[in-house]
Amino acid sequence: MLLSSLLLIPFVGSLVVLLWPGGPSPQRLRLVTILILVAQLLVSLGAIALFDPTAPGMQLQELHAWVPGIGLDYALGIDGLSLPLVLINAALTLVSAVITRDIDKRPRIYFAMLLLISGAVNGAFLAENLLLFFLFYELELIPLWLLISVWGGANRAYAATKFLIFTAVSGMLILGAFLGLSLLTGTVDFSLTPVLSDRLTIGGQLLLLIPLLIGFGIKIPLVPLHNWLPDAHTQASTPLSVLLAGVLLKLGTYGLLRFGLQLFPEAWARIAPALAIWAAFSVLYGSLAAIGQTDMKRMVAFSSVGHMGYVLLAAAAGTPVALLGAVFQMVSHGLISALLFLLVGIVYRKTGTRDLQVLHGLLNPEKGLPLTGSLMIVAVMASAGLPGMAGFISEFLVFRGSIGVFPLATLLSMVGSGLTAVYFLLLVNRAFFGRLAITPPSGDAQVDGRLDVRLSPVALRETLPAIALAAGVVLLGLWPASLGHLSEAATTAMGLTIGGVA
Amino acid sequence: MPVISADLVHVEPSLSCDELQRRLLSGQTLLAESSDHLLEVVGVLESYGEVLDAYSLNLIYQAEHQFLNPVPVFKYLDGDLSPAKIWRHLNHDRINFEYAEYCQKAMFWHGTGGLDAYLDGEAFASNCQAIIAAKRRRDPLLALLNPLFPGFLPELIRSAATTHALGQFWRVMSDLFLDLARAERSGQVSTIAHVVDFIKEGLVAAAANPITYGVTIAGQHHWVLPPEAGLTFLVDVAVPYVEAVFLRGMPFLGTVSFNAQAQQISPDQAQFAYGALYADPLPSMGAGIPPSLLLQDMYRHLPEPLHQWYRQRTRGEGDVRVKICMSFQKSMFCVTNAAINGTMPHPLSTTDPQQQAANAAYALAWADRLAAGRTDCLAA
Amino acid sequence: MQSLSEALPLPLQFTWLIPIYGFSGMLLSLPWATGWIKRNGPRPAAYLNLLVTLLAVLHGSLVIRDVLAIGPQHLDFVWFNAADLTLRLGFDLSLTNLAALELVTTMSLVCQVYALGYLDKEWSLARFYALVGFFEGAMSGVVLSSNLFLSYFLLEMLTLSTYLLVGFWYAQPLVVTAARDAFLTKRVGDVLLLMGVVALAAWTGSLEYNDLYDWASENASTGAIAPLAGTLLGLGLIAGPIGKCAQFPMHLWLDEAMEGPNPASILRNSVVVTCGAVVLMKLMPVVAPLSPLATQVLLVVGSISAIGGALVALAQVDLKRAFSYSTTSYLGLVFIAIALQRPGLALLLLLAHGLARALQFMGVGSIIATTNCQDLSELGGIGTRMPATLLAFVVGGAGVVGLFPLGTFWCFALMLNTLLPASPLLATVFLLTNALTAANVVRVVRSVFGGSPTPKCRRTPECNWLMALPMVSLTVLVLLLPWIMQRFDPVPGIGSFPLPVALGVAGSAAAGVVVGSLLPQDQFWSRATTPWLRLLQDLLAYDFYTPEIYRRTIVALVASLARITLWVDRILIKGLVDGLGRLSLVTAEGLKLTVSGQLQSYVLTVIAALLLLLGSLQWLRGA
Repeated sequence: MLLSSLLLIPFVGSLVVLLWPGGPSPQRLRLVTILILVAQLLVSLGAIALFDPTAPGMQLQELHAWVPGIGLDYALGIDGLSLPLVLINAALTLVSAVITRDIDKRPRIYFAMLLLISGAVNGAFLAENLLLFFLFYELELIPLWLLISVWGGANRAYAATKFLIFTAVSGMLILGAFLGLSLLTGTVDFSLTPVLSDRLTIGGQLLLLIPLLIGFGIKIPLVPLHNWLPDAHTQASTPLSVLLAGVLLKLGTYGLLRFGLQLFPEAWARIAPALAIWAAFSVLYGSLAAIGQTDMKRMVAFSSVGHMGYVLLAAAAGTPVALLGAVFQMVSHGLISALLFLLVGIVYRKTGTRDLQVLHGLLNPEKGLPLTGSLMIVAVMASAGLPGMAGFISEFLVFRGSIGVFPLATLLSMVGSGLTAVYFLLLVNRAFFGRLAITPPSGDAQVDGRLDVRLSPVALRETLPAIALAAGVVLLGLWPASLGHLSEAATTAMGLTIGGVA
Repeated sequence: MPVISADLVHVEPSLSCDELQRRLLSGQTLLAESSDHLLEVVGVLESYGEVLDAYSLNLIYQAEHQFLNPVPVFKYLDGDLSPAKIWRHLNHDRINFEYAEYCQKAMFWHGTGGLDAYLDGEAFASNCQAIIAAKRRRDPLLALLNPLFPGFLPELIRSAATTHALGQFWRVMSDLFLDLARAERSGQVSTIAHVVDFIKEGLVAAAANPITYGVTIAGQHHWVLPPEAGLTFLVDVAVPYVEAVFLRGMPFLGTVSFNAQAQQISPDQAQFAYGALYADPLPSMGAGIPPSLLLQDMYRHLPEPLHQWYRQRTRGEGDVRVKICMSFQKSMFCVTNAAINGTMPHPLSTTDPQQQAANAAYALAWADRLAAGRTDCLAA
Repeated sequence: MQSLSEALPLPLQFTWLIPIYGFSGMLLSLPWATGWIKRNGPRPAAYLNLLVTLLAVLHGSLVIRDVLAIGPQHLDFVWFNAADLTLRLGFDLSLTNLAALELVTTMSLVCQVYALGYLDKEWSLARFYALVGFFEGAMSGVVLSSNLFLSYFLLEMLTLSTYLLVGFWYAQPLVVTAARDAFLTKRVGDVLLLMGVVALAAWTGSLEYNDLYDWASENASTGAIAPLAGTLLGLGLIAGPIGKCAQFPMHLWLDEAMEGPNPASILRNSVVVTCGAVVLMKLMPVVAPLSPLATQVLLVVGSISAIGGALVALAQVDLKRAFSYSTTSYLGLVFIAIALQRPGLALLLLLAHGLARALQFMGVGSIIATTNCQDLSELGGIGTRMPATLLAFVVGGAGVVGLFPLGTFWCFALMLNTLLPASPLLATVFLLTNALTAANVVRVVRSVFGGSPTPKCRRTPECNWLMALPMVSLTVLVLLLPWIMQRFDPVPGIGSFPLPVALGVAGSAAAGVVVGSLLPQDQFWSRATTPWLRLLQDLLAYDFYTPEIYRRTIVALVASLARITLWVDRILIKGLVDGLGRLSLVTAEGLKLTVSGQLQSYVLTVIAALLLLLGSLQWLRGA
């Protein structure tokens, strides 16, 4: 029942918000949403208590036949791969709700959609049935699309449509693969049993794995399927970007691990070398594209493209250490990118711009955003893989686990890690160092030197979520055993599966 | 929803050299008349007066009681070694006397005016020798160092002399600024013009005050700056002070590179424009901005009405020290204004064309230097 | 937490606290650094940092006492253990490591006192002390580390804190680029080092230095690692220390790092570079058997840095840079000693150099604080007015130069004694560097203190007591150093070399002194009139145009790659996507299936998908 309650809380919560009697103020709705999400977080934390970290398989399973005719079962389970993601989902949706202020239109629908997304994501992470996964995977799309197209920036229609087309294609491909599985094996068994050559020829496996790869590759996103992401991020509001980068991209990598690697271990091992090269390409492309950006948010979005590539590299390598690294990377990227988007959001709200050619000197102690700037330095250093923070141990595990299998791709990915420092240092040094300025330089040094910049102050409550995320990043960086302990058994088992067939 | 960034940027027009000269010659104040300005200038000068009182006491204490002390651990305690005072110092719950020393260094290093000239003279050298001879008898370290490094002690004594002179100067200024606040409360001063006149009169009244300095070694009194040197308040200390602190200043490590190859700092000190009338208030309280110490001191002594006024503006308490800096710059323009008025060669009311021309030239010289300053704080 | 023996004395068991003291200093500074304490000034943060650093020094000396009594010890903790990977944090409590630790903590203490004076008018004092605490913690960890993983971990933290310290005056325009370049150059070295670390971790399973030594010698004898892999590994491992010690060609950041506050420069030029060299020293037994090429590279890099650095130093017009390039030069010599597997000598040289260089930089700080100037062409004629500073310049200079009788002399003579029979060429590098450094020291002292007072040096009282006191103490320490070295390394003794060698070293220094004293002062900084001389002068003054070379090569490469990627992203990919999108919308409109908006088209997709699903399942069951 615990896992069902992880679905019930947000879904029922969503209804509660929609049907709240009277005309509740946006603040009241926000408070209700926050309370619901706190409950969800507490239940998710409760799952840790019930979870046995030494057991590799699915736990706390729930199984009810739903539509047996088409093989759709209500089958839920949790393991060391999905548990951290469920936690991240609960934590980051809460952060999103907390940082949602000044909602100007339809707060009721906004908060209901937020809860709906969180529930659907939980469902996708917990589903033990392919069709059930697909249902939740699609369910999360509509609210997300609504959130971009109603509460987004000026160019939101374009971004939302693009997002919709891309993810619809992704969904079609995934569904096609799942149906194909049924078609090729001639059964309607949509459980998570690995598909080996005794059930399906290797050619058939590849035929199904490749659409899955492209489908999830869109979601992650991998280059060149990434085009929807920067636009979606730049048009989405800050809370939505936090959710998108922190949680929703993980659906793609989770899908790859669960339905690519775990479902088709043989075919996976066959194409792993190509995947490793693809990963390295994605990493380098994302990093190089980020260097060229002048919009802070686009830069962070491209950094996501680069950093999600590490997960693919680790999945391709498939060693226990690499897979553990993949889980670490998903969690730390969730925390770090959420932190980055949150801080960029604060800068945008206070200055009205995210243009790196315009912003300068925001570290100014009295008139700038010094705390935001200090946290930004923490965030970019974590993202660049500096030790003592979550990014380092994740990347170290990924690289250490992959270098023996794919040395070249790993070394190229490490170059990408070096490039992260380049673009994020450009970001910090341009926007936060120097004399405070938020308008383009006039060309006359004396005029620029006399501008008085009057930004509104950042209240402590606006920074609190960022402080909490930063603390999480440092905590995970200094005490990685906390997460390693939860996921080790699952990733080791997964690594052995793939190791066994390779 | 995001704001338009251009709305968040404010700029006031700067004044041209001609306008500054016109204001000086017409008897108009440099700082525009307004009730806000009056509140800012009088309030900030009141807190400055309180701070200067402490600075002045300490500089005089240092010059007299920490004279040539190689390890002056307690130099900021003014001789009060009670545990409570020591604790307050350890907790940095105190006036930042470092800023007073910083001004002293600026004055000493730029070295202009009569006091500086006297320090290079014969009379001073012989006073120095007498003091060193007296000091050597009871201090073996100095006895050893002086023959090896003959330039060492005289330079320290010169520095101490400047310290004492600056202490005497600030004594007068502190009293003057506190009097100004009282006069404003009693209604005698109600416009910026009154403020400038009040300061001018104070300066003129003190102009001829003698500047002297002596130290006592082993019960015996030695003159460092004897009365017969004829050093006076206005020309020998006040004018060099304005030159060194208001106008030239010293480059801030936080905004200017000292890299020799970058050549950001002029080799000619006379070209320096880092002083109080030129400095940018925006980076106040940041790293490498020494006046932050003074701003903090003034913040701790802010009169309530002005503090209230600050709380209602921009970030309220959040950027109060930058606002103090802006008000301080305004008040320093008023002080400069008073000094210029007080040293104008002829009365402004003169009808003699020659005198008018002399006045115009004098005003122009000042306007020329001030035009490069932060005249945008003066408002139209 | 597990230690070798339960009976270990308490100070030994808790040695891991020593780096923690530094880090805790950072945390203790936070209330002031973040501005939570608004009414009171930031000085308590400085006092707290001084206190914890003092604790580190005292604790370190207790550990030395215990180690002297019971011999070297090893402390080890498992930090992370998963799958087949175990990451440990290990500390090697050997006398050499502890001596390096005491050097680090003592220098940090001295520097922090000095900074109270140098930064007396600095409002961001708490942030400075927080960073120095962080710096000190990372450095103490690096020198104690018995484990490559921990060394790497802490080296990266050093990179971060260097960035933050160089960026301390963040509003100053040149600092903006300086901090960035300092971070990126070191980061290049760090990433290469990380590649080596990751490869070693995958190959050996353990990152303990002792295990690595065994593994390397074993593999070298069996040839299990291919020569190419071994060479690449070796080059990767030495890249980190090369970057950290600002050796050619990764010395780019050094010039700009001088934009940071002087107390940080003192630390950088004495102990930070020492940390980089210590890591190299620990790596050398891994690198040497695997990769003869990497050893050759170290020798070449060391030699170029030694002579190139000394020459560039001679042409600098900036007081700080004149000495900081000399640091690169000396670390080049240390690299040679390490590459030749003479760690003992390298350590002695690091000690002698570190203390004397720190003293020189303290003198530099005193000059800057008093004259607001670090341009040699504008300094001059201070004469005897600043005795402590003058002594710091003279003693620091004499301590750096191999001129009888201070520390470096003995190191150089010992080094020369080993080099002469084996490699006369490297011996020449030492002698030449010595002569060039001597000339540089003399010309700087002359141009600051000699001649008639320049306007900016007309009024120069001695610096305040908080700067003078550490400066004088360090002067005494540098003077006593030969005696300390003798105690530290009694067998065969620091004087175990023949007289001709001693004369050679002293002679080269004397030659440098003569050149430095005879050349007219302004020839060093006014541009020469002879074209070829001017060319040479500019080449050296602008550091062989290294920034320009970087800009035209690596920076240009990355920038153009980024531009190409951006073009591909904007034109190719986005164009393709938009084109496809338009096409599909047009088709949809042509089919009159959608009226307006995207929701409809989405619903349509979903319905189509569902139909497909149900239909196919139905078909499947029928089949």
